[in-house]
Amino acid sequence: MKAHFKFLSIVLAVFVSGILLSSFLAGPRLASKPTTFPYKKAGLTERQAAAHLLNRFTFGEKPGEIDEMMSMGLENWFEKQLTANDPDDSLKTMLSKLDAINLTNAQVEAEYPKPGTVLRMAIKDGIISKDSVKADQKQYRDQLLAYMQTKGMKPQQELYRQFINQKILRAAYSNNQLQEVLTSFWFNHFNVSVTKNDCASYIPAYERDVIRPNVLGKFDQLLLATAKSPAMLYYLDNFQSSVPNAGNGRNFQTAQNPNLMANPQAAKFVQQAQQARKNQGINENYAREVMELHTLGVDGGYTQSDVTQAARVLTGWGVYPLDDKGGLGTLGKKIIGAYGDNNLAKAGFVHDGDFLFNMNRHDKATVTVLGHTFDGAQGYQEGVDLLEMLAHHPSTAKFITKKIAVRFVSDTPPQSLLDKMATSFTEHDGDIKQVLITMVSSPEFWTADALREKTKSPFELAISSVRGLNATISAPFLLNAWITKMGEKMYYYQAPTGYPDKGQYWINTGALLNRMNFGLALASQRIPGIKFDLAALNNHHEPESAQAALLTYGKILMPERNLDQTIARLTPMLNDPDLLKKVDEAAGKNTQAAPADMNANDPMSDAAMNKATKARVNGKGGQNAQARLEYAMEGAPGNNTMLSQVVGILIGSPEYQRR
Amino acid sequence: MTSRRGFLKAGGLALFGISLMGGIPSFIAEAAASEKRVGPYKKKKIMVCIFQRGAMDGLMAVTPFTDTYLQAARPTLFIPATKDGNRSPLIDLDGRFGLHPSMSAFEPLFRSKQLSIVHGIGSPNNTRSHFDAQDYMESGTPFNKGTASGWLNRAVGLLGHDAGTTPFQAVSLTSALPRSFYGDNPSVAISNLQDFAIQMRGNPMGANMAAKSFEDLYDQTSSNLLKSTGKESFDAIKMLQKVDVKNYKPANGAVYPNSAVANSLKQIAQLIKMDVGLEVAFTESGGWDTHFNQGSDTGIFARNVDDLSKSIVAFWTDLGQYQDDVTLMTMTEFGRTVKQNGTGGTDHGRASCNFILGNDVNGGIVHGNVAPLAVENLEDGRDLAVTTDFRAVFSEVADKHLKINNDKVLFPEWTGNQIGVMRA
Repeated sequence: MKAHFKFLSIVLAVFVSGILLSSFLAGPRLASKPTTFPYKKAGLTERQAAAHLLNRFTFGEKPGEIDEMMSMGLENWFEKQLTANDPDDSLKTMLSKLDAINLTNAQVEAEYPKPGTVLRMAIKDGIISKDSVKADQKQYRDQLLAYMQTKGMKPQQELYRQFINQKILRAAYSNNQLQEVLTSFWFNHFNVSVTKNDCASYIPAYERDVIRPNVLGKFDQLLLATAKSPAMLYYLDNFQSSVPNAGNGRNFQTAQNPNLMANPQAAKFVQQAQQARKNQGINENYAREVMELHTLGVDGGYTQSDVTQAARVLTGWGVYPLDDKGGLGTLGKKIIGAYGDNNLAKAGFVHDGDFLFNMNRHDKATVTVLGHTFDGAQGYQEGVDLLEMLAHHPSTAKFITKKIAVRFVSDTPPQSLLDKMATSFTEHDGDIKQVLITMVSSPEFWTADALREKTKSPFELAISSVRGLNATISAPFLLNAWITKMGEKMYYYQAPTGYPDKGQYWINTGALLNRMNFGLALASQRIPGIKFDLAALNNHHEPESAQAALLTYGKILMPERNLDQTIARLTPMLNDPDLLKKVDEAAGKNTQAAPADMNANDPMSDAAMNKATKARVNGKGGQNAQARLEYAMEGAPGNNTMLSQVVGILIGSPEYQRR
Repeated sequence: MTSRRGFLKAGGLALFGISLMGGIPSFIAEAAASEKRVGPYKKKKIMVCIFQRGAMDGLMAVTPFTDTYLQAARPTLFIPATKDGNRSPLIDLDGRFGLHPSMSAFEPLFRSKQLSIVHGIGSPNNTRSHFDAQDYMESGTPFNKGTASGWLNRAVGLLGHDAGTTPFQAVSLTSALPRSFYGDNPSVAISNLQDFAIQMRGNPMGANMAAKSFEDLYDQTSSNLLKSTGKESFDAIKMLQKVDVKNYKPANGAVYPNSAVANSLKQIAQLIKMDVGLEVAFTESGGWDTHFNQGSDTGIFARNVDDLSKSIVAFWTDLGQYQDDVTLMTMTEFGRTVKQNGTGGTDHGRASCNFILGNDVNGGIVHGNVAPLAVENLEDGRDLAVTTDFRAVFSEVADKHLKINNDKVLFPEWTGNQIGVMRA
């Protein structure tokens, strides 16, 4: 019955959209909803298809999610993810404990000021003498900390800690998984880095206000939002790009404002600013990267001249003064306040949230970028026009959709799929949702070549493990320590390219060993702040043997995967009656004393426990027997070493590194 | 020809696969440590780079002490070359330049012509942002931020041979991969060699079993990447297992300071002596951003150079017969202002100096070009001018020591000339 209904509704949907489409042939193609996914043609069952969707569009499947998805319908599940408006109440409760993550950039400046700002204030307030600054002394640091407390300021590390905590919690627990996956994807595409001090404090707001709300919208909106964000303006230096010698001439009308210049501090600032600006000029960094990395791609058909000219179009784009601590920001605010917003707008300035377009710094010459002429008179608007042009360029359609395909299909997606996605991008005006629908509706998404072809990044591995084990996280930051150790220091990738999205980048010897060790540490509950109940995952059925544990938990953690090889490889060892003897031999000890009848394949059995206990009581077997005892003792139900070892091996296994 | 696999098998510890790592009993480690050379690779030339993050004051490390402008610009920071009360004087290197007294460990190496100094080195891009300048120096493209790869990664690519067969060809002793190592060629960041094992705290047998399981699983996986890297990982563990990494005893009476950079160099020395195929090593040193109370013959800067020079000299002593294979080079993103600031320190400037140590170095010379520090000779009227492009020196050291000769790949935008810091 259900299937009939679904079929009917799909036919209806296709019919209706067909009618609508025909009347829109001249304009952009009408947005379409996901139709039936073509997984059956690829030979996948609905369960396998569901598992594949979870692997691609979530941070890993939670136990029972495949069943949920199937009862809802795969297409409906995907549409719900595209809508991304699940209220996420339980996540919100978790996040409510993090008081710093909702601060505006200005509030961050006030509460979590940069170390340099604190120092300046402390010197000004006479707390620290200019001549006694000793950055490497504890007493001095304590003095500064105490000063910060009296001023209601906190160290920046706390801001970043909370920021990383929220990312981990969202990834692990948000019901809007696709939105969160795309937040990671687009953040990485428009990468900014905590390693650069100037932009670091603005990164939490960048992810929250610039990236996350736009990840399923139109590409041009996302591009424009990043271009105007303090994080990007500072990261790629566009904030300091100005027409050469902007300090000369009429743009220092400020100096003629008698009220302002009566304030000696302000007068000094204006002089300093004039001096500083003399040396300034065009900075091409953003203009180059916006073409090379954000839109056209390195082979997108632009020249060095296009870069230079685009940089001129984007001059004057900067940050509204955010700092209220008596530094330049305070004076900047006063100066802007003295003009008044209306006067600024009349003069061509644009103040939009944290963004400020400064007409005085704008290069008003006529320039040509990629064949388009910008006459310089339009000020802010010509920068917007430039970004619109880049967002709609055919090279951009190709470059962006390929990046999406690499993220969601495989490291080497087939050309036929890339063509469809680029066409979809262009026809739907860069609508990211529509590109995703085109991708999932293509047979190439479901081919055997694409299944488990992606390597999990360290973050993805960590989060998928937490989700797979239904774990609760009370201290996300400790999970982050492992993510760092496995090679992904969150928000620290220095280059504007973002982390390379390919298996070779993540998999090297050191990183791989850390992945294995992560599995073992997590499964044995040795990562503080992460709790789970292995027995509950299997409805409190205790596996009868290590082999049974392997089969059961393999299916729980990696549903719909072919684990025959994994099981075949592990079983002989788990069943080897001489396992402990071999360990002893390898340790160079004569193990003749080891009881041959010990049920080594199942150290958690009563027999093993009894033997081990006897060995201890009788003092037999010396050191090795003692070690075996401890090993077996930990196998007691509830603190099940063999089970946690099996799960640890599964998480560290090659199969689990793939998605 | 003995295959690498065969060599490892013959090592005597392969009895139970990987079983001896992790909570390896110490008696095994001791027995294994008797064999010195554990790697199956031929000896290689090795380049070791130390990035001094924060911008070292080159004028204080190696001071043009006859320069009266400098004396005037630095009333409390300047250290004379002659004894002045209780203050230690500079070490006169050549009548014009003096080494900071806390770098006395370097003097014998300079006199024996193994240590060379380049002064006035820096980037053609005049940014005074730490982030940007480090980024440009490490990518090796001072005017292009989007360069995906780092120069050391490209050097590894040019070395070519044995690529992909040793896990230790390019090793950074840092917690994250440095910008210099970004790129397609295999390179690895290791914060501590001791972590290079399968670990289960308090459960060595569990670790042994897990290790055996992992080795089997990675051996059978259908993913070539996971399979080959898995094999490399376990081979790497086996190599490291043959020496007692934790209780390493430096050779030739070398004494490493107790510091982060010393600890990194000690581990690099271990890798070098194990012949595990290392060719490019990287580590870093911090604390050079001395805006406040930099000190002179004593103080913050003195402590920093004391640690750095003693660490390098300990490393060099420890290497012993391996010295011929190794060249070490320091680098820093820029120098500091000629004039001291109002807080007893120096601000962000332009050129600095660097140190190159090795038996193929054109040593005992302060290379480069430092004009008298009169205002008219300074860059932007305030800084020691950059007269040697860092790429001229980096490329020469890499070319001559590692025998790679493709500067177009190493530094794609650079067209200058090398300055003879290496012997031909």
